[in-house]
Amino acid sequence: MERLITKLTEKHVLFTASFVIRLALVAYGDYQDKTMVVKYTDIDYHVFTDAARCITEGQSPYNRSTYRYTPLLAWLLTPNIYLSMVFGKILFIVCDVLSGLLIYKILLLKGLGTEAALRVCSLWLLNPLPIGVSSRGNAESILAALVLGTLLCMEARHLMWGAILYGLSVHMKIYPVTYALPIALSLRTTETRSEDKKGMKSLMRFIRSFFNQELFLFASVAAGVLCMLTALFCYMYGWEFLHETYLYHLTRRDIRHNFSPYFYMLYLTADSGWSQWLGLAAFLPQLILLLVASWAFHSDLSFCCFLHTAIFVSFNKVCTSQYFLWYLCLLPLVIPHLSLSLKQGVGLLILWFAGQGLWLGPAYFLEFEGYNTFLWIWLAGLLFLIINSFILIQIVSHYKPTQTPQRLKVE
Amino acid sequence: MYFVLVSVLACLASCHCFIERDEKNENHCGLLQHWIESSLVSMEIIKKGFHREVETTVELSPDVHSGVRVLLLHRWPRGVYVDPYQLASLSDLSDWKIILDSTIDLEGPAHKTTGFVTFVYPTPDGPTPTLLKVTIPIHGRYHEPSFVAETFTSVEIEPPELLLWTEKCIPLNNVEPHEVMEAPCTHHNSSSCQWVKQQHQQKVKLYSSYSGVDYRVPLDASSQFTVIFSPYFCSA
Repeated sequence: MERLITKLTEKHVLFTASFVIRLALVAYGDYQDKTMVVKYTDIDYHVFTDAARCITEGQSPYNRSTYRYTPLLAWLLTPNIYLSMVFGKILFIVCDVLSGLLIYKILLLKGLGTEAALRVCSLWLLNPLPIGVSSRGNAESILAALVLGTLLCMEARHLMWGAILYGLSVHMKIYPVTYALPIALSLRTTETRSEDKKGMKSLMRFIRSFFNQELFLFASVAAGVLCMLTALFCYMYGWEFLHETYLYHLTRRDIRHNFSPYFYMLYLTADSGWSQWLGLAAFLPQLILLLVASWAFHSDLSFCCFLHTAIFVSFNKVCTSQYFLWYLCLLPLVIPHLSLSLKQGVGLLILWFAGQGLWLGPAYFLEFEGYNTFLWIWLAGLLFLIINSFILIQIVSHYKPTQTPQRLKVE
Repeated sequence: MYFVLVSVLACLASCHCFIERDEKNENHCGLLQHWIESSLVSMEIIKKGFHREVETTVELSPDVHSGVRVLLLHRWPRGVYVDPYQLASLSDLSDWKIILDSTIDLEGPAHKTTGFVTFVYPTPDGPTPTLLKVTIPIHGRYHEPSFVAETFTSVEIEPPELLLWTEKCIPLNNVEPHEVMEAPCTHHNSSSCQWVKQQHQQKVKLYSSYSGVDYRVPLDASSQFTVIFSPYFCSA
């Protein structure tokens, strides 16, 4: 009983502390914005708020230049105008802490002990990166909560709720659409008898395995939610909604410097006739790797989704630090299955940060000092891609798909 | 008879009024001409990199009347842009107001955008001080990559044109050699007024910061264009 109480207190302490830290930073951010030249709040938060203001004035949120998100987000943030500017940030930090709770629940379902699960989810709850990102006003935590909610429902076999949350997350950002293949592979009928080696028959059996009730339910509910939302916003805002929310992201060829090494190629070839083809060709490495990862790891959906997201972000045509949160929220689900030692884990983390630091140096000199460091930025981007690939290889080679995951090794 | 006398007197009185008004008008227009000739505009570009600030200082003649309005007209090249959202949040904190003549593309490269014009009202309300300072944040655009070994390109920023207006000199006449120009009366942009524009050549001083008034923007040096391009395809 005493141990139970201690555990409950610990859990409450952890979640309360993580919420209070975020709240304190939101308050500090407000103070810094009012008193210092360098603002704490991210520019994206102002974009969301301006779009919400457009909605309160009866206009389209896309009247706000560079608003390239779902109208749902602007609608959610209308209390920023009616109540207080800080509402959105409170919503984001609540979703952030909720993501931590969802991680905890998923880990418990996967068989991890309470103490270990709390320790692992504290990697998210007390991690300065998500704390900083959500307190600065980025909306990534909403998507993290939706994706983790989907995974929790899949783990608990609440397929309808999982499908609804999945449809909603694809509506908000395109990248969860890559999870469709591993979800489909995990929901298909698994073979109980030994497989026939004859090519055509096994192929037919493979295709038939996709036609089952569960997969059909999931696919139809998810597609239904997505289509309904798309139709609603198309009706309200027309072509602009489709273009800004989806097509822009699919066809975007950002020539300005970012972590992706593709930026330099896109900058140099922006006006050539090949630029369209190059943009499409850049999808190939992502696609191939995603197909391979789906096939190899679909039995552990959390691990597969983590790999998918990490591959997607690392090999994408544009990569900014906000995107890292997309796979960082799934990393705590993967950690209990890794046989990496603490030293190795910390080493990989330092390598990851070093890769970013090496990029940030020349990028700062280009943007704020006016030096021509394009070549260095590009090389740093390539190095960062190599580092990310190395880290992913390490994770994959140290992955142990056991039923009862190993407890976190603490040295 | 009396009627004729009264009408002649009335005519004479109104003619006298018109002449007096014209004289006053001429006086004020003369003053305006004097003020615009004796005002000094200087410009400095501070900070480095893609995000800079253009600081314009206007020294008006000390005998300028309080009813005079000042307008600074910047003609910006396509190599730079201003962020209207940044300007909106700045205008809450500063005493100058700005309007743009067109929507700004915040992301386009220089060769795919056009220049634009800004109208800056240093003191939209209240009396006109003799020393005015306006700092406008500007941002550099990405330029077309170069196919010769050029690592920088220059963006020339002209100093702003100084325009003055006073309600006591309407209509504007006899202000040669200065031009008369139509521009919005205030930052509300609800009506158009005739302003006197200062002639550049005599009275403008340009102060250069360490990198010169010319704003140098880094450009990728793609004289190695084929060298960079081919290895990508070989290794992919």
